[in-house]
Parts: sequence; structure tokens; C-alpha cells
Amino acid sequence: MRPYTYAAARSVGEALERAGDGSAYLAGGTTLVDLMKLEVVSPAHVVDITAVPLRGIRRGPRGLFIGAMERMADVAGHHLVAEPYPVVAEALRQSASPQIRNMATIGGNLLQRTRCGYFRDPATPCNRREPGSGCPAVDGHNRSHAILGTSDACVATHPSDLAVALTALDARLSLRGAGGERTLRLADFYRLPGGTPHLENELRPGELITGVTVPALPWARRSTYVKVRDRRSYEFALCSAAVAVHVKGGVIREARVAAGGVGTRPWRLPAVEEALRGRPMRTETFEAAVAHAADGARPLARNAFKPALLRRTIVRALVHLAG
Amino acid sequence: MARPSMDRIDARAKVTGAARYSADHKLPGMVHGHLVTSTIARGRVVSMDLDAARAAGGVVEIYTPDHRPAFQGALTGLAAVFAETRPPLADREVHYHGQIVALVLAETVEQARDAAALIRVTYEAQPPNSSFEDAKEHAVSPPSVPGLPLGVPIKEPENVDIKAALAASEVTIERTYEIPPRHHSMMEPHAAVAVWQDGRLTIYSGTQGPAAHAMELSGVLGVEQADVHVISPYVGGGFGGKAFTWAPAMLAAAAARELGRPVKVVTGREQLFTVTGHRAASSQTFALGARRDGRLNAIEHATISQSLGEDPGYRTTPKYYAAPNVHISMKITPGLDLPTATIMRAPGDESGSFALECVMDELAEELGMDPIELRMRNYLESTLKGKLPYSSKHLDECYRVGAERFGWSRRGERPGAVTDGEWQVGMGMATAVLDAGRAPTTVRVAFRPNGTATVGNATSDAGTGMWTVMAMTGARALGLPADRIRPALGDSALPFAGSSDIYGAVGSAATATVTPAILTAAREAIAKLAEHAATAEGSPLRGADDVRYAEGRLTGGGKAVTFGELLTLTGTAEVGAQGTSADLDTTHAYASYAAHFCEVRVNRWTGEPLLSRFTTVVDAGAILNAKTARGQITGGVLFGLAAAMCEEGRVEGATGRISNANLADYLLPVNADTVEFDVHFLDHPDTRLSPTGARGIGELGTVGAAAAFANAVHNATGRRVRTLPITPDKLLA
Ligand SMILES: Cc1cc2nc3c(=O)[nH]c(=O)nc-3n(C[C@H](O)[C@H](O)[C@H](O)COP(=O)(O)OP(=O)(O)OC[C@H]3O[C@@H](n4cnc5c(N)ncnc54)[C@H](O)[C@@H]3O)c2cc1C
Repeated sequence: MRPYTYAAARSVGEALERAGDGSAYLAGGTTLVDLMKLEVVSPAHVVDITAVPLRGIRRGPRGLFIGAMERMADVAGHHLVAEPYPVVAEALRQSASPQIRNMATIGGNLLQRTRCGYFRDPATPCNRREPGSGCPAVDGHNRSHAILGTSDACVATHPSDLAVALTALDARLSLRGAGGERTLRLADFYRLPGGTPHLENELRPGELITGVTVPALPWARRSTYVKVRDRRSYEFALCSAAVAVHVKGGVIREARVAAGGVGTRPWRLPAVEEALRGRPMRTETFEAAVAHAADGARPLARNAFKPALLRRTIVRALVHLAG
Repeated sequence: MARPSMDRIDARAKVTGAARYSADHKLPGMVHGHLVTSTIARGRVVSMDLDAARAAGGVVEIYTPDHRPAFQGALTGLAAVFAETRPPLADREVHYHGQIVALVLAETVEQARDAAALIRVTYEAQPPNSSFEDAKEHAVSPPSVPGLPLGVPIKEPENVDIKAALAASEVTIERTYEIPPRHHSMMEPHAAVAVWQDGRLTIYSGTQGPAAHAMELSGVLGVEQADVHVISPYVGGGFGGKAFTWAPAMLAAAAARELGRPVKVVTGREQLFTVTGHRAASSQTFALGARRDGRLNAIEHATISQSLGEDPGYRTTPKYYAAPNVHISMKITPGLDLPTATIMRAPGDESGSFALECVMDELAEELGMDPIELRMRNYLESTLKGKLPYSSKHLDECYRVGAERFGWSRRGERPGAVTDGEWQVGMGMATAVLDAGRAPTTVRVAFRPNGTATVGNATSDAGTGMWTVMAMTGARALGLPADRIRPALGDSALPFAGSSDIYGAVGSAATATVTPAILTAAREAIAKLAEHAATAEGSPLRGADDVRYAEGRLTGGGKAVTFGELLTLTGTAEVGAQGTSADLDTTHAYASYAAHFCEVRVNRWTGEPLLSRFTTVVDAGAILNAKTARGQITGGVLFGLAAAMCEEGRVEGATGRISNANLADYLLPVNADTVEFDVHFLDHPDTRLSPTGARGIGELGTVGAAAAFANAVHNATGRRVRTLPITPDKLLA
């Protein structure tokens, strides 16, 4: 860890004021401190926002608002989340460990960095960490890497489970910067790596995430999150699926499908949603609908199983919802 | 019958933090060391820019290949075979990724780490030869090591023509099983605090064998063994990784001598993967020839591994099944640019049992026979070579009792036959055999005026429960409650016999080794005490010729006195004696046994194999402490299952880098992966082995567990995974 200066902010205004070039906000610290120890990031200045009142889980006109500083554990257990949006609660509960969920915040979760082992090891090249240095993952140990949205410069997945659920529900971020407030669809927030994988999202320097709004979607009560991983807890997804369905008279009226562990960002699958619409809620429909889920995928030497796994993970989620 | 069962006497100290592990020691004037490791696997250090590090606050010294603390000798004994023989910082050559290239010493641990991060190393890198996969085809027969049976081909009969025997068999199968490298990943990292005084070294260093550690350090440092005092009362897991001496302890000791100050070196979690040993990858090919009725005619077992430490052929194959024709061989892949391999919990036994117990399952399927029935048809009654009878073998009972407890009869004979919703349910079983033995050792038992008795031996407790077993055995031998016994262990100054007992807690033999010596020493100590009572000035029993000892009291001449009162009256600090256990009776062979039964549920869509039930029935002689014994078995089973479920060191062939050298990416099972293990102990004390009748169990659970899991996965899905671990991607239909 490199030396840095530290300041604690008590308000949004103070936080914005204290942030500057090369600064980082400290929320739960479960990503930031980790990466600072590894010297993957070395901010000159750390602005602690744990006392900034970005709290609250409440229903509003535009849907459910969740303050950026709410902890993962608190959000997962909240009745305004668990009942109307099981997919969000399940995604959170299958994330990390209880200890981490007690510390980690919603804002921090959405801004967590990729788990690519090369990104996390400063002794190796990485275009995301050091633009232009190269990407060893393309020919290296890439079993956990992405198959969708990749480029020659970067094949790293976005690791957040929550972001997958929120992408399925088309959530919006509230942002506050020196220039004022704005909102942005989460779907438009994360960038594809292309030739500039170090530019991960649309957050402007010094800008704060103040909260997330999940649009009202009554039928999202019928939603679920399926996460496939190498052990049953405390591990990132090999593949995950966030699925919600609106079924009437045994027929699927609407569907939301997003996937994790396969894309360089949370991956919404509108083609699968489309293929489900108007079909009977049963396994044959699901299997047919996912046939093209992985179209355009670029599997790597060690993750050739991911297209099939993606299709099957979605089917499994749908089967749960049918059951 | 109620089995003795006692809570660990060290439990409170451990959960309250009162137990001090090596790195917990702080000495006045102590300097903190941080290791710097190489980022290439093969080549040379061309230059090191130390200016920034030197200028950083608190730095006391930086050792590099050009400026290293002095070592006078090399590792001796088994360490010369199973540990890294090249001294740390020996020269500028780099032989593996993650090799130590510098040691930074500073006033605080943060300063040491900070300065270490400022060191820039320039390398002249060469393409490494780090791929075990590629090296396999160039594997060679290992050179024989005098006194060591590993790697030596085994043929039965001596002139066996195994190919002909296989060809003559009614049914033959040949299968290859691959196991990736594994790392001990014990909770407590290798850590040492070293301090010199008057040419003598005292070192707090977590080790499985304090006396061997002292011997090895003395050789490396060029001092007498008696001048090295190793103190290691608590060890946060060893699993073979702390059986021998590794660079961090050597560097701490050498730097402390050089600097004239105490030095602490704690190995970083990532560094443990490379600067200390690991279980080498192995590739095993089994060919079995059998009659249609299941009787084995021929077993051929050929292994390739990085080094001798992992020899499944020697360790496994002769101990399981009777066959008239057997051929076992091993090749190694020397010269790989990889970290040094060593022994790891059930070395060779774990890997060998995986392959053998899977291939037996495959043969059973081929023959259409129940897997237990196939094993019973080939039941081994005496050793393959020499035909020695086993001292006490109840493996058949393990199968019978285990099948009953587990509900083996409900197993679907046809793979994939049993489903429960989206889950495919399968059952598998496997056998575990672990050579049992013990070494003669010396224990000192002494009575003290405060009414307690000490029981001391230079063994260690790496979490195994030795503290408690010594207290319980001492209590039994002296007729005292266990809380009046003060065990002493984890100290090279304590007694040992100088046989292989010098290695302390290895080979699952510590309990079998130490407890009989406690009985001997207790007898001697009681005799000494009685003599003291009859002769010492101030003794109320003085002059009596009928002194007897029972349950802490001495009687004689019509009088009685407790030993505490006696020693107080005679003003004696302690009365005690050493006793050495007898040699092993070599007319028999000794082994512990278990039968594992495993149920898994595999998701039909996404392939995750989840453990759902596990039963183990154990035949390990007398169980001296049911509670810690159960802990050893469940821990061992999970250790073995980990290899089946998720654990795997991933080496990048092109760079020699271990790509998952941290505990986030190196997956060990978590609680959610486990179940409530059903462990049942048979009760057949092995009194031929020793008067306490206890055989080893520490590694027994580990043996065979992975095979039981793999066999269950096959039963659930019809898929046979022969490359560990069995991750979901390998089970996608
Ligand atoms: C071992 C381990 C396992 C894990 N497993 C999972 C898993 O299975 N699934 C999963 O989804 N996640 C997992 N995580 C990641 C974990 O969820 C994130 O680390 C956590 O959510 C980050 O939140 P935090 O509050 O600790 O963020 P911090 O570490 O404090 O911050 C993360 C980043 O966000 C920035 N930041 C934080 N808050 C704001 C804000 N309000 N506005 C602007 N910038 C902000 C920080 O500057 C920093 O760059 C795991 C983490 C670990 C260590």
C-alpha cells in the first residue's frame, strides 16, 4: 500500500469538495482497501464517505429508492426489497460472505472492480490497469473470463451479482457531482472495454453515486437469481441469471433476463426476453428461447463451456419460476 | 460402551487468543522482515534498485543475493529430500516464480512491507520450463534415495510380466487420473521469531517436529543441535507443510545472528504458495485385469509426478487388494521451474486412493458388480510382499456397518437412475487404508509438590489434539484427573528418542508413538516416587518397605500421603523419570482402515455437484479421545473432498506463475459445501501395535474421500471425471 492522505466527509457537499484528482471515496472498503493493499490502485487521497447520509430504502413515485451507503446485508433483508424484488435479495444473499455483506455498500458494490487475476496482480500486464500494457488473459488462465462484450484488449467480467439483478430490472443510478445531479440507466452506465478497458463506466471524476432506483414492476415478485459457482458460498459466478416473468393464464406476457459471469458488463438478453414473450410457461419454451442466448459469444481456450452454461443457467432460473 | 471424550484442554486459550503462536511473539528490539519474491520463473536477477527502499523510514537492512546473511550448511535428513535444498538468496539465479530475491528488515512490519514494495528488480528472463503437462512425456525414473522406499518399482512376483498377465485376464480396463497441485494453505502461515544469545539460537517457529526443526536449522547455521532451541507449543495447521524447515525460518535465524537483534519473518499468504512446499501434481495410469467373477489377476500402476514426495504407487497399491500379478512404477519430472514439492497430508495415499478407488468403481461397473462386493472378493489378508499378517484388520466390518448406516442398498445400480426434481442423486463409496506405525520415543513424567504431574515429549500439536491426548493418557497412567496433568510439547528441549520420532507429528503416528511411552514413563516415575517416599528425609513413609502408589496417594507402613504433600514435606521440586517405548513388533503389518460412503446431488441443468451426505466407518484401533478423533476424521474427509470439489493450484505453463495464489481464488470448501458428517468408530484396540492400542487417524479421513465423491458423481450422472477437481463445467451434458 502506498502512502495517502485521508479525510472523512460528513455531507455530500463536503465529500464533493474534498474529492479531487487521484482521490477515491471509501465506503465499505471491501474492494478499495483490498486493491490498495495489492497496489492495483494507489489513490493519493482517500475520502471516507461512511458518515455521509446516503441512506434510506423507501418507496417513491418512480419506484424503490436505495441509498448508496446502505449495506448489502441490510438491503437483502429489507421487506421493501425481498418481497417485491426477490431477484435483488437473492443476488445479494449469494454475494460474497456475511462479513463482507455487513460492511459493503450498494454504491461500492456497483463500482467493484473485475476479479480478473491479471488485473489484480501488478506484476503482470493489464490494459485495464495500465493502458496499452497488454492482456495476458486472452491466452492465459481465462476460465472465469467473459465471452460476451469482449475485445482483444480485455476479456474481464464485471463481477457484481447485484448489478445483474438491477440490470434485469432496468434500475437507474442517481449521481451527484460538482456540476449537479443527474440520473443514468445502469444499462448505460457500464462501458464495453473496446480499446479502452480502463474507462469502465460513465462516472465523472469526483462524482458520487447517491442512490439506485428500481422501477416499480409489480410482476417482478416472480423473479429469481440463479448463481452457478465452484463452491456454494463466498465465490463469484461462473455464470448467473437474473430472471423475472409476468405470466397470465399460463402464458408469458413479459420477461426480464440478464446474465452475469459471462459478460464484460452485466448482460441483458433482450432476444431471450422476446423469445419468451407470448409463449407457454414451460420447459420447452425455455429451452427454445435460450437457443440464441450466447449468439456472438467469443469463448476462450478455457471457458468454452460458458455458452452452454449460460443457456442452462437461464433455463434453470425459469424452471424455478415455473415451479 | 462410552468412549473417553474430552474437550481440548487448549481450546479456551485458542478461542480467547491467549495461545501464542510463533508470530505472536514480540521481543524487545525486534526487527520485522518482509520477503520479496521473483516475478519470473527462470532467469537471472540483473540488478536491484534498492535506493528508494533504503531511503524509506525504518529500514534496518536489506538482504539480497549479493548481500545475504551467512549460511554454513545445508538441510540434512529427510529435509534434504522433501524440502528446498538451495539456501535462500543463494545466488542471482531464479528457478521458479515466487522465489525469494530479497528480505527487507525494518523497525515495524508496515515499514518492512512498504520498503519491500519500493524495490525494483530487473531480470534477464528465459522461457521457463514450468508445465508439468509438457514435462510428463520426458519423465524419468527417479534416482533411488538410500533408506527411502519411494519411487522404487514394486513387482510381484519379482519376474512379473504384467502386460502378459493383463492380456490373459478376462476383463481389463485401463484409465488415467490427473490431480493438480495442491497447497497446504494452513491457517497459520510459516512464521518465525529468532533471537540469539551467547551463540545459542532460540526460535519461535511453527513446526510439526521441534527436534527435527532444531536439527535442520543447526545444520544450515553451522551450530550444534543443542544450541538451537525451537519453541512451538501451538501450530495453526501443518499438514506436512511444517514437517521440514523452509526459507522463512532460515532467514529469520540467519538475519538475527547477523544483526544481533531479534528478527521476525512472517510469510505472506501469496508467498506461502511458492516459498514453502506443496503437493505436486500427479498423473496415474491404472490397468486392471480381472476374472468375470471379480477376482483381480493383475494390477499395473504407473505414476508420473514432479518429485518423490507424491508416490501413490508405493503408498497405496500394495495395501488394498490381493492380486497375483502386480507392477508398480513411478517416474518424475525433474528440473521443472516450479516451487519445491514436499509432503502433504497423506502424501501419495490421497492421490493413490483417488485413482485406485475410482478404477475399482469403473471395474465394478464393467463387471456389473456391486462395488463393495468387488472389494470383498479381493480382500487383502496379508502384505503383498513378505505376506505378513495384519495386526488387526476389520475393513470388512467397516463396509458392512457403513453400508447399513448409510443406506447403501438404496443406491441406484444404473447411473442417472435416481432424481429428485432438478437434482440427480448418486451414491459412491471408497476404501481408505493408511499404514499405521509408531516410533520408539522418550517421555518424561514428573510429580510436583503442587499436586500436578508433567508429561513431556518433543512432539507437536498442529491442531490435532495432542495436548489433550497427552493429558488424558497421563491421567490414565497415574490415576489422576486430567486437569492435574500438565502436558509439555512443542519444544526441542523436551525428550525424544532420536528415532524417526524426531519428526514429531507426521505420518499420523504421533498419538501411537507418544502414548505408549507415557505409560512406560509413568511406571518409571511411580517407581521413583515410591522410592523417594521410602527414603527421603521428611517423608512420613520413610523406612516403609511396602510403599504403594495409587491415584495420587502413597501408602506404606500404615500411613498415607498424597504425592503433593510428600514432595512439599521433603522439599523436593519434582520427582520424575524418563521412559522409552519398546520397538515395534515386526512380525505383523499395521494399518488403519475406513470405508467412506458419499451422496451427491448434481444439478441436471448447470452441473454443480453438491455434497449431501457422508458416512465414514473407521477401524483405527483404540480411540483415545472420541471428540478430537472425530475432529481429525471430519477434517480429514473434508480435506480429501476439497480435492474433488474445488481445490486446485493453477500453474501457468508459459510463465510458471500460480494464477490463483491467494485464498480468494484458491478455493477451499466453505461451511456451505459441507454436511454433518456421520463418523463411526469401530472398537478394536490394536494391542500388538502398542499397549494403548491406538493407531493413526490424522490422515485416514483424507484417504479415499475424493474417490467416494467422484464415484457418487458417476452414479448420479453417468459421467466419469478423472481430472480433479470435479467442477460444474465438467458435468455439463
Ligand atoms: C472475498 C470477496 C468475495 C466477494 N464476492 C462477491 C460476490 O460473490 N458477488 C458480488 O457481487 N460481490 C462480491 N464481492 C465484492 C463486494 O460485494 C464488494 O467489494 C463490495 O460490494 C464493495 O462495496 P464497498 O462499500 O466495500 O466499496 P468500497 O471498497 O468502499 O468501494 C469500491 C469502489 O467504489 C467507490 N465508491 C464506493 N461508494 C461510492 C459512491 N457512493 N460513489 C462513488 N464511488 C463510490 C470507491 O471509491 C471504490 O472505487 C466480494 C468481495 C470480496 C472481498
